[in-house]
Amino acid sequence: MSHEANTDTDREFEQRTRSLLLESADGLPGALRSRLTQARYAALEARRAAAPASTRSWMGAGAAATAVLVALLVFVPHHGGAPVTALAGGSIDDLDLLAESDAVPLNEDQDVDYDFYEWAANEADAKTEAAPSVGT
Amino acid sequence: MFAFATLPAGTAELSRAGQPHLHDSTQDGARALEAFLAGVERKAFRIAQIALRHEADALDVVQDSMLQLAHRYAARPPAEWKPLFYRILENRIRDVQRRRMVRNRVMAWMPWHADDEEEQTDLIEQAADLGPQPPAQLESQEIMQALERALTELPPRQRQAFLLRNFEGLDVAETAQAMRCSEGSVKTHYFRALQALRVSLGEFWK
Repeated sequence: MSHEANTDTDREFEQRTRSLLLESADGLPGALRSRLTQARYAALEARRAAAPASTRSWMGAGAAATAVLVALLVFVPHHGGAPVTALAGGSIDDLDLLAESDAVPLNEDQDVDYDFYEWAANEADAKTEAAPSVGT
Repeated sequence: MFAFATLPAGTAELSRAGQPHLHDSTQDGARALEAFLAGVERKAFRIAQIALRHEADALDVVQDSMLQLAHRYAARPPAEWKPLFYRILENRIRDVQRRRMVRNRVMAWMPWHADDEEEQTDLIEQAADLGPQPPAQLESQEIMQALERALTELPPRQRQAFLLRNFEGLDVAETAQAMRCSEGSVKTHYFRALQALRVSLGEFWK
């Protein structure tokens, strides 16, 4: 036996009950509708308030991690015991270069001059082969 | 030069300051959630009101459900919101009913408080005030009250299946998701609810 409403009478009954219920929802008093609107805004506001809080906590963790990294780069002596401040400065310069607006647009393959990079790689290989090795 | 061409549509727009609107998707999400809540709040309230027969409790339950959805499930795809929202709503309704049951049991041991704490809710008193009432409207209101009474008398699962399918318009799969049962169970509950309501409302349905 099917458990769906099959007969016309069932369907008519369903339509009537549905329209009655919808009418009752549409006819809620203004004060109630206003309280429902307030409840909706409260829910949206709570969500808005919650989102930045979690972002802040991640940002705080990120800032702490960055501070530790910078402290390590600046204060931990490099192999020979000399501070690596200069290297860190160099890295920052490199970052600036990378961030420059003229940097290679890696997301646009059509603009990359592959011939140039191939030539540069070959040049570098040729120089390496031409240079005398340390042991000879 | 860095291009914004790789950003998804809608986020590549530049503001006056020339900065991309990186929060557009978040704002879209908030707008979608607001539209969703605005679309379900009245029906949700009526469902809670019919189940609890108490306006303030129904309001609390709806507000709580909205908060829960916004707080926990807003990141889910909007297509999932409706079944999730009605699942939360039903859980909240059940919580209130359980609390009442416990309170009533406790009150049964303290008969001197029973009269003060009893919150007998009159359905007629709770019915929406529709202003001036011509005969047709009065008749409609009377039928509505009869329907509400009949719904109240249904077993909770049958009432839930009927209201979600018929009133809220969820399909069988969504209703099953909201009720955490199989689609077959939804069909059975719905069918039984329909039969019971037809019997109860027979005299009004001529």
